[in-house]
Amino acid sequence: MKLTIKLAWRNLWRNKKRTLVTISSVLFAVLLAILFFSMEQGSYDRMIDTMVRYSTGYIQIQDVYYEDEPSIDNTLLFGEEIHTLLDKHQDAISHYVPRLQYFSLIASENTTRGGMVTGIEPEREVKFNDLREDMVAGDFLEKGDGGVLMAEGLSDIMNLGVGDTLVLLGQGFHGTTAAGKYPVKGIIDLKIPELNNNVIYMSLEAAQWFFGAENRLTALIIMPENPGQTQQLANLFTGELDSQWYNVLTWEELLEDLLTLMKFDIAGTMVLMMILYLVIAFGLFGTILMMMLERQKEFGLLFSLGMKRSLLARVCMLESLFISAIGVIAGIVLAIPVVTWFTYNPIPLTGDMAGAIEDFGFEPVLPFSSDPSVFYSQGLLVMALSVLIGLFPVYKVYRLKITDVKH
Amino acid sequence: MKTVIKTTNLEKVYNSSVAPVKAVNQVNLEFKEGEFTAIVGPSGSGKTTFLNLIGGLDKPTRGNVIIDDTDISSMKESQLFDFRLKHIGFVFQAYNLIPVLTAVENVSFVMLLQNRPKEEMEKRAKEMLEQVGLSDKINVRPNKLSGGQQQRVAVARALASKPDFVLADEPTANLDTESAFNLLDIMSKLNKEENITLIFSTHDQRVIDRARRVITLVDGAVSKDEYFDK
Repeated sequence: MKLTIKLAWRNLWRNKKRTLVTISSVLFAVLLAILFFSMEQGSYDRMIDTMVRYSTGYIQIQDVYYEDEPSIDNTLLFGEEIHTLLDKHQDAISHYVPRLQYFSLIASENTTRGGMVTGIEPEREVKFNDLREDMVAGDFLEKGDGGVLMAEGLSDIMNLGVGDTLVLLGQGFHGTTAAGKYPVKGIIDLKIPELNNNVIYMSLEAAQWFFGAENRLTALIIMPENPGQTQQLANLFTGELDSQWYNVLTWEELLEDLLTLMKFDIAGTMVLMMILYLVIAFGLFGTILMMMLERQKEFGLLFSLGMKRSLLARVCMLESLFISAIGVIAGIVLAIPVVTWFTYNPIPLTGDMAGAIEDFGFEPVLPFSSDPSVFYSQGLLVMALSVLIGLFPVYKVYRLKITDVKH
Repeated sequence: MKTVIKTTNLEKVYNSSVAPVKAVNQVNLEFKEGEFTAIVGPSGSGKTTFLNLIGGLDKPTRGNVIIDDTDISSMKESQLFDFRLKHIGFVFQAYNLIPVLTAVENVSFVMLLQNRPKEEMEKRAKEMLEQVGLSDKINVRPNKLSGGQQQRVAVARALASKPDFVLADEPTANLDTESAFNLLDIMSKLNKEENITLIFSTHDQRVIDRARRVITLVDGAVSKDEYFDK
């Protein structure tokens, strides 16, 4: 093994310039790929994090029929069974957020439109998403509050402000009529246009009273102490709750559409990366091919001396691996400080792009991810490519006829 | 004296597109231990092909090559690799050394493939380099050595593993007179001291003059086999 390593390593430096150029091409490809993937992964991570923190949470417990038919009739009873579960696993749960959310008509003196009434426990909700930060006028809700918070867009449409009164009219639990008159206590900017033009927040107790759904929730959002343990915790809950009544969903199931979209996007990026790697592969292949062709007579000598084909094939494969490994390691070493810098100092966006991103409730920056997988996935890909390329000289070594190359 | 190599009815036919060419034709020869033999003949007479056949680098079309009572003509390729490694030393006209290895590493190379103990290997390699007058070039790579010095390292390598015989394919062809004589002196000395059988293919009269046996090939067949007292 020592001999093969020694030969491969020294062969690499027979033509220093050529080897360095090839290594540099691998290096820059890896560096570019890492930066690109880090940026993409960073954006996805940020998007998922925002969605999980502001919308779905890591785990949701719902009524068994709610996922297929999100109706007020398919709400779950926030009763003893759930409380027992929460108590039992309190060490694994950071906090939980109960919500009751359903459609209702919202009316002011001159306007009526549909909207989403969301009943929340204010103190728990702020732990989850710090909604209070988004207040633009009035005061935030308190436990058992009789007033409502209006999303800013909706308040503009309805021409309602703090201190005004609105009327809600909708369908309650099991076909009852839900009706009520509520003072607007505050205005909140929800950033995402779809939410900002539709949502009304009220205290959970008020919402349960309004919909006639005492002690009922559309979803119980659970944030685990360790988000990495989400799936395990969800599995525990599924095992312990009566599946006839409850459905336990993780954020991956709740954001399935978003994740599918991301996978499509990643596939597009992969195609671009493949083109980049194809260029690199040809460069590497060219070097390996030249190294092969200029040493045919030397191979003849080695065979004559009794060096087995398997040993020489190993030398050739190692040469390809060495070039790639040096390029990959150098690329990763260079990428680490750059990615780390941008992870903590994301690139700020300006102009229309920043505005568009802000409209969706995200910070107008290009975030980077320094997850180890960003680095090693590119390294492994290039190494796999070099193994593939290294197979060519191996094939040639096994095909060479000694008498053809001896002189 | 012990017979090291014996060929019986040895033939090598190359199938050219026009007509088959008999590069080696019905060669029956025996080489005894310690012989210093020159295979001579005009270009295309089959010298190199003959060396390739007895060196196990090529397979005969017909006939046999028996080395130390082993018929190598029917061996599989992997067996031939092992056989060459253990029994035969080679010196070629050019491309003789591995450019990325130093002189001492080149000399040790065959022993390394034979998995000899490191200390024994190093000792023998240095000893051989001393014998060929290159003890001051131990850690020098081939590109820093002259053509003659490179051939001397190649001879040291061929003999270091103490093979049954050494095949040298026109080893002096690229050397100036002084280097050629120097190389031949060393080979003659080692032939006598280590009792190693040496077989040269050559055009070079300087080599022929040193040989104790001269075999002349014409059109692949032996036309003369002469012994000289030297």
